[in-house]
Amino acid sequence: MLELKNIQKSFDGTPVLKDISIQVNDGEIISILGPSGCGKTTLLNLILGIIKADSGQILYDGEDLTEVSMEKRGFNIVFQDYALFPNLNVYKNITYGLKNRPDISSKEEVEELIDLLGLREHLNKNIEQLSGGQKQRVALARTMVMKPRILLLDEPLSALDGVIKESIKDRIRTIAREYNLTTIIVTHDPEEALTLSDRVLIIEGGMISQYARPESIIHTPKNDFVRKFILNQLEIKRNNIYALFGDQLTVPAAQAV
Amino acid sequence: MDTRKNIELKIIFWTIAAVFSLFLALPLLVLLGRSFVGDQGVTLEFYRSVIADRKFLPALGNSFLVAAAAALAATVIAFVLAYMIHYTNAPLWLKQAVRAAAMLPMFLPTITYGFAIIYSFGKQGLITRLLGTQLFDLYGFMGLMTGYVIYTVPVAFLLIHNTMGYIDKKTLVVSKVMGDGTFSTFWIAVVRPLLGTLAGAFIQAFFLSFTDFGIPASVGGSYDVVAAILYNKMIGGIPDFSRGAVVAVIMLIPSIGSICILRILERFNIRYNRISDIDLKKDPARDISWGTAGSVLSILILSIFAVIFVVPMVEEWPYKTGFSLDHIRNAFLDHELLDSYSHSITMAACTALFGTLLAYGAALITARSTLPDRYKRAIDSISLVTNAIPGMVLGVAYMFLFPGTPLQNTLTLMVLCNIVHYFSTPYLMMKNSLSKMNAGWETTAMLMGDSWLKTIIRVVTPNALSSLLEVFSYYFINAMVTISALVFIAGARTMVLTTKIKQLQYINKFNEVFVLSLLILITNLIAKALFSLLAKKLAEKKK
Repeated sequence: MLELKNIQKSFDGTPVLKDISIQVNDGEIISILGPSGCGKTTLLNLILGIIKADSGQILYDGEDLTEVSMEKRGFNIVFQDYALFPNLNVYKNITYGLKNRPDISSKEEVEELIDLLGLREHLNKNIEQLSGGQKQRVALARTMVMKPRILLLDEPLSALDGVIKESIKDRIRTIAREYNLTTIIVTHDPEEALTLSDRVLIIEGGMISQYARPESIIHTPKNDFVRKFILNQLEIKRNNIYALFGDQLTVPAAQAV
Repeated sequence: MDTRKNIELKIIFWTIAAVFSLFLALPLLVLLGRSFVGDQGVTLEFYRSVIADRKFLPALGNSFLVAAAAALAATVIAFVLAYMIHYTNAPLWLKQAVRAAAMLPMFLPTITYGFAIIYSFGKQGLITRLLGTQLFDLYGFMGLMTGYVIYTVPVAFLLIHNTMGYIDKKTLVVSKVMGDGTFSTFWIAVVRPLLGTLAGAFIQAFFLSFTDFGIPASVGGSYDVVAAILYNKMIGGIPDFSRGAVVAVIMLIPSIGSICILRILERFNIRYNRISDIDLKKDPARDISWGTAGSVLSILILSIFAVIFVVPMVEEWPYKTGFSLDHIRNAFLDHELLDSYSHSITMAACTALFGTLLAYGAALITARSTLPDRYKRAIDSISLVTNAIPGMVLGVAYMFLFPGTPLQNTLTLMVLCNIVHYFSTPYLMMKNSLSKMNAGWETTAMLMGDSWLKTIIRVVTPNALSSLLEVFSYYFINAMVTISALVFIAGARTMVLTTKIKQLQYINKFNEVFVLSLLILITNLIAKALFSLLAKKLAEKKK
C-alpha cells in the first residue's frame, strides 16, 4: 500500500501542493485528475522521487520512502512523450534495463510482455517507424521489464487518437490486473480518468477536491468544482453522443448542473 | 536527491572553468594591466600617446568605415543568394552551386584572399588581363573591402539562409490573398521577419572585418587599419608592447559593442514553430532574374579564387604562363613547408578533438543537468566572452603571459588558443542540439539502473553524434584557416600553414603562398567530404 501523508510543496514561494494525504491499495488503478497547473504532475514527480516534498511523508508498505532516492524507490514511469531512445531499436529499448540488472526479468517474462503488448512484429524496427500507440506500448514494456512496485503513467493517452486510445486503456487495465500492479495515472481528461481507474483523485489548486470511486463522483459530487468542471464536461459529451444517435433522452447540459 | 550524478558534472564544470581562467581571463587581465602599467607604475600615458599619434585615429576611422561598408555589401549579397535559394524555382543544381560558392571562402585563410585579390585585380592580375584594364586601386579601401566581403559572405549567408528556412512561407500566400502588392508582400513576408537576422548578419560581418588581420596584412597598403597597427606595434620593426596592449584594448571595445548589439537583436528574431513549405507560384521572370543575380555573384566570388589554382600551376606568373607543376613539386620537396603542413593538421585535429569534448561537456551542463543556475550562467557567460574577443587580442594577450613558460611557442598553446577563441559557436550548436532531445531520457535511464555516465554513453552521445561531428568539423576547419591569434604565438618550430604564408610574404615567395593555400583548401574540402560521408553513414544506420 502506498501512503502519502500531509505532502506539501512550493516552488519559489508559491504553494503548488497543500497538504495532500491519500492511500492507494495494492493493484489499484488511480487517476490523478485536474486542470493544468493544479499540481498533478508535481504530485506524480514527488511519488516518483524526481523532486522532494517540503514536508510530509511517502510510505510504501509501511516503509518510509520520503528520503529514498528515485532509483532506490523501485517505482517507474512512462513519460507522456515516452522518452524512447532513438538510437536503439524496439527490442533494445525494451530490454534496456536488463544490461544493468540482468536478473530482474527472465527471458520468458520479457517474451510474455512482448506478446501481451502486441509488439512481436515490431521488435527490429526503429523508434521513428512506430506510431504513437506503438511507442506507448514499447515504453510500457520497457518499464514493465523493470518490475516496478508502482507504475506511474504521465498523460498516457493524450497524444493518441480515437480507437488507439481505447486499446491502450485496455492494455493498461490488463497489465494492472495481470501483475496486480499499483498504477497511478496523471490525466486532465475526466472521461479517461473515470473510465480507466478504480478510484479518481481530483485535485484543484493544490488540494484534494474529491478522492473516490468513479460512480460516487458521478452520483455524489462533493463540491461545485467537481460538478462544474468534471461532471458538466461529461454531460456535454454524453448529450452530443446521444444527439448524434438520435436518442430522445437528451438533457440540456445547463440543467444538469 | 541526485547528488551522485552531479559529481561528474561538477568535475566537468571545474575543468572548463580552469581552462578558461588560465587561457582567457588571465591573459586578458595581463593585457589590460600592461596597457595601464609602465615603469613608473599606473599611468594613462600609453593611452594618451596612442590616441595622440596622428596615424591612430584615422586608422580607427578607416577600420570602422571599411568594415561597415564591407558588412553592408556582404549582407546584401548574402541576402540575394539566400533569397534565390529559398524563394525562387531556379533549378536545384544552380541552387546547390550558389550555396557551394557562398561557402567556399570559409575553407581558406583570409590572408589568401588578400593575395588572391592582388593576383586578380593588380596591374598584372588575372582579371585585369582578361578585362584589359585595372578595375580599382586595390591597395587600400577597395582592396580591403573586397577581401572583407569575401571573408564575411559565408557567415552572413549562413545566418540568413538559416532564418529563411524557418520563415513561414504561407505568409506569402496570405499576404497575396489579402491584396498586397509585390513590394508589400516582399516586406511583410520576407524582409520584416528577417530584419533581426539581417541586422545580426551585418553586425557579425562588421565584427569579423574590423578584427581581421589577414586581409590588411596583404592588401592594406598605405590605408591603415587598427589590425595592421596592432600587428606592427607587437611584431614590427620597433616593438612597443605597452602601446600594443592599448591598441588591443581599444580594438576590444567595438568588438564587445558588436556582441552586445547581437544579443539584443536576438530578441527580435521571429521564431516559427513549424517550417511549412509551399509550392512557389510559377514565375519565370522572377526565377531568371534572381537566378542570374545569384550566378553572377557566385562567379565573381569564384573568379577571385581562380588565381589560386592558376598561379602555382604556370611557369612564372605573369611572364611565362605555360603549364608547369614545378612550384607544387618544389613545395613538396621543401621539408619546412611539409613540417608546417603536418603542424597544421596536428593542431587542427587536436583542436577539433579537445574542443569538441569541451563544448560537449559545457552543453551537457547547461542543457541536460540539474546543476544550479549559477553554473549554467557561468558557462553561458564564458561563451559570450569568447564570442566577443577578437583572435588578435587573444594572441597579443598570450604574447604577454606565456613567454618564458614551457608553453611558449608550443602547439599545445596554439590548440588551447583555438579552442578558447572558437568556443562560442560549437558550444551553442551543442547546447541547441542537446536541449532538443527528450527531457525524460536521463530519468528513464536512471530508473533502468544507469549511472549518469552510462546514460551519457548509452543514450545521449549516440543521439548527439551528428552534432558532435558538426562541431568537430567546425573546429577543424577554423583551426586550419585561422591566423589572427596564431601569428603572435607560433614559434619557428611550430609554424603552421597560415603563419608560414605570412612569412613567405616577407620574402616574396608568392608561388609557395598559393601552393600552401591550395593545400589548406584541399585539406579542408577533403575533411568536409569525410565528415559529410560519416554523417550520411550515421543517418543511414539510423534508418
